[in-house]
Amino acid sequence: MGILLRIIGMAAHYPARLSLAYTSALAAIGFSLALPWLFGGAIDLMVGQDSETKEFFRKDFELAALVFFGVGILVVSLGRGFCDFARTYTTESLSQKVSFDCRNLLYDKLQNVSFAFHDKEHTGDLMSRATADVEAMRRFVNLGMIRSLDVVVRIIAIPFILFFLNWELALVSMIFVPAIVLRSTFVMRALRRKWLHVQEVMGESVTVLQENLAGMHVVKAFASENYERKKYNRKAEELRVEYFDAERMQGTNSSWMTLYFTFALGLILWFGGWQVVQGDLTAGDLAKFFLYLNQLTFPIRASAQIINTFSRAMSSGQRLFNVLDARSPVSERPDAVAMGRPKGHVRFEKVGFSYADRSPALREVNLDAKPGQVTAILGAPGSGKTTVVNLLPRFYDVTDGQITIDGADIRDFTLQSLRHNVGIVHQDVYLFSASIKDNIAYGVSNATDEDVERAAKVAQLHDQIMALPNGYDTWVGERGTTLSGGQRQRLSIARTILIDPPVLILDDSTSSVDVETERQIHRAMVEVMKGRTTFVIAHRLSTVREADQILVLDKGIIAERGSHEQLIRSGGIYQSIYELQLRPQEEVLLEAAVPAMADGRAAL
Amino acid sequence: MMRGGGGIGGGMMRGMRGTSADSMFAPSNDNLTDEDVVGRVYDNKVVMRFMTFIKPYRTFALIALASLLVYATVNAAIPLLIKYGIDWAIAEGEVNRVHIIGVAFMAITVIHFLSNRLQFIFISRTGQHVLYDLRSGMFSHLQNQSNAFYHRTPIGRIMSRMQSDVLQLQETFELLALALAELVTVGAIIILMLIVNWQLALVCMFVVPVLTVIMMYWQRFARHSFMRIRRAIAMVNGEYNQNITGVRVVQSLNRQDENMAHFRTLNQEYLDANLEAARYSGMLQPLVELLIGLGIGLGVVLFGGWLLQRDALEVGTLVAFAFWIQRFFEPIRQLTMQYSQLQRAMAAGVRIFEVLDLEPDILDKPDAVALPEVQGEIRYNDVNFHYVSGVEVLRNVNLHIKAGENVALVGSTGAGKSTLVNLLHRSADVTGGAITVDGYDLRDVKRESLVHQMSMVLQEPYLFSGTVRENICYQSEGVSDEQIIAAAQAVGAHDFVMEMEDGYNSELAERGINLSIGQRQLISFARAIVGNPRILVLDEATANIDTHTELLIQQALNRILKGRTSIVIAHRLSTIRNADKIVVLDRGRVAEVGSHDELLEAGGVYAQLYAINYGLSGPSVGVAPVGGEVIGADGLSPAAAD
Repeated sequence: MGILLRIIGMAAHYPARLSLAYTSALAAIGFSLALPWLFGGAIDLMVGQDSETKEFFRKDFELAALVFFGVGILVVSLGRGFCDFARTYTTESLSQKVSFDCRNLLYDKLQNVSFAFHDKEHTGDLMSRATADVEAMRRFVNLGMIRSLDVVVRIIAIPFILFFLNWELALVSMIFVPAIVLRSTFVMRALRRKWLHVQEVMGESVTVLQENLAGMHVVKAFASENYERKKYNRKAEELRVEYFDAERMQGTNSSWMTLYFTFALGLILWFGGWQVVQGDLTAGDLAKFFLYLNQLTFPIRASAQIINTFSRAMSSGQRLFNVLDARSPVSERPDAVAMGRPKGHVRFEKVGFSYADRSPALREVNLDAKPGQVTAILGAPGSGKTTVVNLLPRFYDVTDGQITIDGADIRDFTLQSLRHNVGIVHQDVYLFSASIKDNIAYGVSNATDEDVERAAKVAQLHDQIMALPNGYDTWVGERGTTLSGGQRQRLSIARTILIDPPVLILDDSTSSVDVETERQIHRAMVEVMKGRTTFVIAHRLSTVREADQILVLDKGIIAERGSHEQLIRSGGIYQSIYELQLRPQEEVLLEAAVPAMADGRAAL
Repeated sequence: MMRGGGGIGGGMMRGMRGTSADSMFAPSNDNLTDEDVVGRVYDNKVVMRFMTFIKPYRTFALIALASLLVYATVNAAIPLLIKYGIDWAIAEGEVNRVHIIGVAFMAITVIHFLSNRLQFIFISRTGQHVLYDLRSGMFSHLQNQSNAFYHRTPIGRIMSRMQSDVLQLQETFELLALALAELVTVGAIIILMLIVNWQLALVCMFVVPVLTVIMMYWQRFARHSFMRIRRAIAMVNGEYNQNITGVRVVQSLNRQDENMAHFRTLNQEYLDANLEAARYSGMLQPLVELLIGLGIGLGVVLFGGWLLQRDALEVGTLVAFAFWIQRFFEPIRQLTMQYSQLQRAMAAGVRIFEVLDLEPDILDKPDAVALPEVQGEIRYNDVNFHYVSGVEVLRNVNLHIKAGENVALVGSTGAGKSTLVNLLHRSADVTGGAITVDGYDLRDVKRESLVHQMSMVLQEPYLFSGTVRENICYQSEGVSDEQIIAAAQAVGAHDFVMEMEDGYNSELAERGINLSIGQRQLISFARAIVGNPRILVLDEATANIDTHTELLIQQALNRILKGRTSIVIAHRLSTIRNADKIVVLDRGRVAEVGSHDELLEAGGVYAQLYAINYGLSGPSVGVAPVGGEVIGADGLSPAAAD
């Protein structure tokens, strides 16, 4: 219920639309309720009943008197039409505004919420919240909030009028109302469960499909097409059965609703007819009964649909508000100040960190990086290397201790100013669907073409960009050219050069590249590190050797620290990594050296 | 009707599809481009093709159709019954006749109810069967496509065809059934009105031609605005998707404000488009009401009254007409609203049939024989291959691999190593020359019988969700538990599998991401050898493996190569050295063949390579990966840390 109230609250931001929608809805009902009355009046004007034989006879009436009723009906219809238009339009505009707001809120939330949140969520799921769930909310505002008024008012007003006309006949014709209410309540629950289940099965079938397509090379390699077909068909069959089941239930429900209505019409004809013959009811009133009941058809049919929107809105609203309410563990202090350009003296003081509900990922990490120093971080997967560097731009917040830049706790600064000063070159570079130029200038909106080119040159990427047919305007990303891993990494370096942050994090790529590319990346890295306090998650011996200090992480603890020579001599983890990697390093090169030696061409 | 479920998931994918209005031509057949086909409302080819899918369920469809006709006719006939109730029974003051009509009405109610239920159930039953066949057919067809097809077709596009386009058709299918019912109702109403009183009927219907003209004119605007909505939502969702997938970059580069501003404009356009459409569809409301007012007020009451005065009509007729007129315009309005849905459905149909019409790249010859159990002798005779005519990937490759021999394939990126091994399991056919296994030309045997005797281990291990057991015995049916365990032991995976909560029955997450990459590699080794293939093709992994796993994999490798013909795309010196034969590929040609010692002695390409590698040192020397780490994956790689 709280969820629905909250959605209603969002709609209440637009009081003018909301009140106009309600007013026009009520006016439309008023007009439409007048129609049967006028029609019945006309009948009574024309037809009378013999009090003896109970037979109908034609009254002597003036056609002019009929004009009042005829034109009245026309006017009432027009009035209803225009009120309906006003209602439809304001309702639509209200519901679209609510979903517009919702999408904006969601978008903003998603791009600002911390990494910890995104770690848990899947893109597909977040997308379905932004689409299907927002749509369910919109439908609720449209049908559940406004249209339901229409339904409720009619379901109350029409029986009321009928009771006023003839309470016995009204009672007879209304006996189906409790049945509808009971049925709706029951069906609402059951159907909701059913559709949820269908959704689950559909999700499963999509997973099978997706895995199959993504793993097609494996399928081919094992000639397991038939096995995959069976696997998928099982799910598709389950989907068919479940879908049919839900639809059957929905259809059955709808048939019952219709049955109640026709049944009531029959009762009016039967019992009402009998009453007319008895002289307890006029022909005109009987006609009114028919037409009023006819006006209940729509509300009754719509009620099932509206009930559905309530339950959908509850589940969808919950999913949406879960995201909108997600408290980002990383948030700005109210008194946060903007960080100026620091010298870049970074200190970790007894830093501890644990991801939600897991054992600590980092414990008691102390670190002191002086301005301009290069710190290499090594360790096995899961030892906490990435965690260390993710704490610095506050993608996550420390759970113990503190991190300072130039002596001030990083949590004292606004996120934007902090991140502006801490650059990061990702291992897996994400390219947006945009031109290369826009991708390089992604963090600096006012960068000139010259700035971009200069950055690309420093990142050793300029020549390769120029070799592309459209140069810097080449479209990359989902629907464009794909760059190689090495090029993407250098593009990320160019991005960072453009921002020119005093503190830099380099997450070095692990992919094997040929010697030429390797050299280019190395050169770019050397360039970008110049004059910056740099943290490198290192995979290349060259980088490690040149670092001012090397940290070796083991299960969240700094196991060793020192320079390359010191660590080699100490005979610890670093030494074993070094020894073990030396052998494979040569072998990787055997592969890599071929183009360099054979024709020296740089693969693009 | 049935709206509630029809849209599940559909809206999302529909929106995510990219749109580009400027290319309105039919998508080219071979890579399923995703341009929006602005199709016709009715495409005979699509409909006829769709009919062939209904054919197997024609009994269901006929029952659905029959009950639908009954339902619609009864629907139209109910006011007629009311008319007779009034005129024949009530107006005459005959109580008995009132009872007769009452009973008759109840009987009709039952028929009405039953036919209504039947049509719901059988429309849904037919529809769901057809959808199953479409899904299953498309899936099956996709299995026949070669790797080349998947290389050039993004998965998202295929997914959107199998999901949103199928859902689109489903919605339309139900819509069409509904539309048919409405049409029959309208037709029946017209006929009944004409029979009961043709003068009144004509007067009440005089507005219909006017309505038709107005609708046609309205249509053009409405259509435009519906298309505007679709384009806008595609942009909105595209931006959403990009924002979510690129969130880490967005945050580290502080792009939130610009992105928000950009998103707002897109979102605003979507809002505006919707409001425009709301204006158009709302406009019909007063129009229809006006027509009803004209029909009932002026037609029935005034003209009917005039007729009544002349005794040319009975009072029940007036009541019946009031019913009919109210029922009459609603379907017409409904049908126009569904115009754009029909258009979408036709486009969806075109896209679905495109998938079903994809030509399988590799087909077994009609007279292909099953390959008997082989020894594993492989010959490449003058093999040429190209993807694009004129750009040869392999040139005159001649290679003889004896049964049981271990071959290491060495060469730079782009030298043709992967192509060479891919041809062996016929993921594509040679464009010149021939490949034989035990003397059989690959093209003369059934592909399945060939591939089941060889195994491939890919550089990137790919696992499916399911248990460890299911992944190891992947598709090889009738593999015993002992064989699975033996395979796992042989590759050194047994120990860590047993440490998992449910051992071999432990569930793997999607793509096995709850295992470390090394563990996944070992499982994929086990999968490769569980069927005891004679031939093994292996693409050695280079990246992302920690030293401990590296050792495990080395050991596993030595064991699984033993006793089989094997071709390894080798990156490690130890693998190369241990090979019986080294094949050096250079730009699509075989540059050298021989053992490590022979090639060193020969002093050719390989020897130079070897010398250079030992000569290289200093800053430009690369270090093999220490380990890759995925953000947030800490603690998920159990075996990695020690």
